[in-house]
Amino acid sequence: MMTNHIGEARIKVPDRITRGEVIVVNSIISHPMDTGFFRNADGDPIPAYFIKDVVVTYGEEEVARFEWTSGISRDPVVSFTVQADKEAPLTMIWTDNQGAAFKHSVGISFASA
Amino acid sequence: MLGGSDVFGLTWTRQLPSLDSMSDSTDSRRSFLRSCAMGVAGLVVSGAVSRSEGLLAATRLRGPDDPEVPNEEVARILKGLFGDRPIRRGHVSLDMPAVAEDGRVVPVIIESDLPMSKQRYVKGVHLIVDHNPDAHLAAFHLTPALGQVSISTRIKMKRTTWVRAILETNTGEVWAGYTRVLVTLNGCG
Repeated sequence: MMTNHIGEARIKVPDRITRGEVIVVNSIISHPMDTGFFRNADGDPIPAYFIKDVVVTYGEEEVARFEWTSGISRDPVVSFTVQADKEAPLTMIWTDNQGAAFKHSVGISFASA
Repeated sequence: MLGGSDVFGLTWTRQLPSLDSMSDSTDSRRSFLRSCAMGVAGLVVSGAVSRSEGLLAATRLRGPDDPEVPNEEVARILKGLFGDRPIRRGHVSLDMPAVAEDGRVVPVIIESDLPMSKQRYVKGVHLIVDHNPDAHLAAFHLTPALGQVSISTRIKMKRTTWVRAILETNTGEVWAGYTRVLVTLNGCG
């Protein structure tokens, strides 16, 4: 079984994008999203440990911001749309409740006609 | 596409809490038993959950066909987010399985036909799971740059409950979609 490091992320956008198109952005990040309600095998409580904030920027513009709780499933996926009106990087920054921030970017570029 | 763990060709491991570790805590044990009890009860008398009429009857947050506000916490969340504005049903599609076999991973798709123009747009989407420990599960703050409202993710559910997706527009309108999701025993984890 393959193990992923906490904070390892992927963002997927369509291969071919035309200017002005509304595209679907899929994302996933590896994170335990511990609720704080469970204990480990030794009986010690597992502290709450989860992504609480996600910021999406497209070029210079912040286009979305998500506030999460540990109610989001382990290895959070989120998908949303973006109107592809410029060639620019789309960046997501996931921040967890211990203050660690994980950043990943993908380029939005248009298919040549 | 919420299909799951192999979307990006990666294998995402999943940690399963063990029953033994759960029973170490009285609190966890109680909620575990209650979750299970509710899971079973939900199958038999779906919807016949005890209803605290008194305090919540005064809440003017819901229409005649909307799910009842089940407890003070949800009432407080709705009041805090939307004040006295009416929460009208419509313009929101909340797509979830009718039966969630694994309460740790329940797909959610929220869509809306409301415009996303600079003049009129949906500025927030709130996901509220009535009987979860942290009922206000997520807030999605949006801008017109998204082009449309179409958000999907995966959530944890403790037990059978109503789920609310409530949108707020930049002009102050509030629109909601509701879905009742039956969480079977696997959801206890």
